[in-house]
This record gives sequence, structure tokens and C-alpha cells, in this order.
Amino acid sequence: MRSIVYYVREFLRPEWLRKFFLVKTAPLETPSYFKDYPSLTGKECTACFSCMMICPAPNAIAVLRRQDRWEPEIYRGHCIRCGLCVEACPEDVLASGRILDTTHRDRTAFSSWYHLEVDDTLCMRCGNCCVSCPVNRQVDPQLAGTGTSASDEVVMRVEGGRVRILHEEKCTGCKTCEINCPNRAIRVARMVEGVQEEAEA
Amino acid sequence: MSILQDIKNAVRSRSIHVSYVDVGSCNGCDIEVLACLAPRYDIEQYGIYVHNNPREADVLLVIGSVTPQWVDKLRDIWEKIPEPKVAVAIGNCPISGCVYARKGTLTTPPVENYIPIAASVPGCPPRPTEILSAILSVAPLIFKDYEEKQR
Ligand code: SF4
Ligand code: SF4
Ligand code: SF4
Ligand code: SF4
Repeated sequence: MRSIVYYVREFLRPEWLRKFFLVKTAPLETPSYFKDYPSLTGKECTACFSCMMICPAPNAIAVLRRQDRWEPEIYRGHCIRCGLCVEACPEDVLASGRILDTTHRDRTAFSSWYHLEVDDTLCMRCGNCCVSCPVNRQVDPQLAGTGTSASDEVVMRVEGGRVRILHEEKCTGCKTCEINCPNRAIRVARMVEGVQEEAEA
Repeated sequence: MSILQDIKNAVRSRSIHVSYVDVGSCNGCDIEVLACLAPRYDIEQYGIYVHNNPREADVLLVIGSVTPQWVDKLRDIWEKIPEPKVAVAIGNCPISGCVYARKGTLTTPPVENYIPIAASVPGCPPRPTEILSAILSVAPLIFKDYEEKQR
């Protein structure tokens, strides 16, 4: 009996009722500097696709053609909010948290290039890669069907019985060579490096 | 009857029991769910209680991108939860497979293919606040006037 009275008294205390029915802490707000899904700043997108290429999550971002302009679209449920696309975009089309402020302040950016690698144990020196490369075709229209070339300006050529890469920096990353290689011997990789400009003294 | 229903509504809105199941995630979302229990977010002050017994649960938080071994077990767990019940997908994994949605990975997202999902909280991982507000907004929708809706 005494314990029933005790419990009834305990549960009828206004303090207990208030705490039971009402939330004690103020609603937690997400601070504005938190990284969120990237939003559009309204600047013009040049459709360079840097954002799509750097995105680590599958199908998270697509640069779409709208009526009269290009526009990146972020897909929730796919995007992991890493913010890499914001950093990679050269035109500041995207914004998220204070990433843009930081990259502007520190003058950081991403530089990218394409790295070509031929696995000599797989390559059978057919020359398909050198022949199919559109850059090669433009530099040296006389490029032979075997992949040999008299020009030193081609991206790669068959030289002394093996594929030699001469001008990696001219590669546009089209991967035509990869598609045309019968042995998957040549690989094209997009390399990205974070760079920082010297701060002004 | 409606007074009884009102009492039920009031009690249910302050007593939401949550069970969570990880069907193949990286554990990031599990940690965010656990962070909801910590004093910083304190999920219990909203009347949400976490304990991992599906038979006691109202809300099932599904985490992870569903590996094939989990498919039948996830259905079993869903069957065990008494009505009224609701499943919430936490994180990108149950929605799209997130970073596991690639060729050659042993996952079969989305989780909607196996059990009905009432709400999803995207994010990799979602913030505890987002998980909290999702539970708080979806649970009353399903549980309010449940008995009257049945008739
Ligand atoms: S924030 Fe990261 S995951 Fe999301 S779209 Fe940008 S690069 Fe992709
Ligand atoms: S959003 Fe930026 S990075 Fe992406 S395509 Fe447009 S300009 Fe390039
Ligand atoms: S990726 Fe394209 S441009 Fe680069 S080497 Fe191959 S074919 Fe040539
Ligand atoms: S296409 Fe492939 S196999 Fe043929 S030369 Fe080029 S890398 Fe070698």
C-alpha cells in the first residue's frame, strides 16, 4: 500500500510529468557550415564533367542538358556528401558547406591528366591502339597499320617491337585504345592530384 | 472508443520502440544510430527506445545494402514485428546500394524489394538528427488512429 501511494505521488509530480511528456533539449539544428548535398550556385556550367569523373559514389551526380544550358544534378540516396565535386568544379557551379570558402582561401584545386600503361606481357604488338587513337590520327595521318610512325609527336607508337608511350600529356582520355586492344594490355587511368598555389608573400 | 484511441495515440507517440538490423553495411550508419542514444542527441527524451528485439519493436531501422544471405532473414525479422509496424531505411545502402552498387559486389539492393519501406533517410552516413526526425515524423503517421483505420 505504501509503495502504491509512493508511486502515485511520484508520477503526479509536475516535474516528472513535464519531463515525461516534453523534450528536454532544444531542437538540434544542422549548422550551416556542415557539408550537405551540393547545391547549385547559379554559375554557368561548362560541361567539363570534372565533377562526374571525380565522384566516388556510383550514379551520384550527372551533368544534364537542360533547355539552354548544362546543369549538374545530385541524386540523394546515392551521393555520400564527400564534397569532392564541389572542389573539382573549376567554375564554382556547386557549393556545399564552406568548401568553396576554404578552397578559395587556400587556393587549392585539382589537376588531372591521363596515364597510359601497357602491360608488355599481355601486349602482342598489334598496333591497334596506336592506329585507333584519334590524337595519333590527327598528328600523323600517315601512321602505318602496324602502329609504327615517323612522327615523334604521336601519343604512342610501336617502336622496336613494343609499344612506346611518347606523349602521355596529349591523351584526351577517350579510351578508344582500351576498347580496341584485343588483350586488355593498354590501360588508361585518370590521375588526379591536389595542387596548391603559392600563397602571396 | 475514440477516447481509448486518443489515449493510445498519446501513449504511442511517446513510446516508440526501435529495433535495428544491419543487413550488410560498412557499420558507419550503425554508429550514427548508436550516436542517437548518446547524451548529445538522447533519443529517449523523444520517447524512442532502442532495444534489439523485433517482437517488441514498432519501428525497424534497416541499415546496409542487403547481402543475399540476409534476404530471407530480413523477411523473418519483419514478420516477427507486431502490427502496427514501420520500416525505415537508414543511409544510402538500403536505397541504392551506395558505394557497393558496383559490378562484382555481393549485394542486392534496394531493400524495398524485400520488405515495405515507409521512409528512407539518405546519407552516407545520415546525421543522427536526420535519423531522429525521420522516426519522429513517420511513426505518428502510421501509428495514429491505427485501430480506427483498421475498421
Ligand atoms: S558530394 Fe561526393 S558523392 Fe556527392 S555528388 Fe559530389 S562527389 Fe559525388
Ligand atoms: S558542374 Fe563544374 S565540374 Fe561539373 S561539368 Fe559543370 S563546370 Fe564541369
Ligand atoms: S585514351 Fe584516346 S587519346 Fe588517349 S591514348 Fe587512348 S585512344 Fe589515344
Ligand atoms: S592494342 Fe593492345 S595488344 Fe595491340 S599493341 Fe596496343 S596494347 Fe598491345
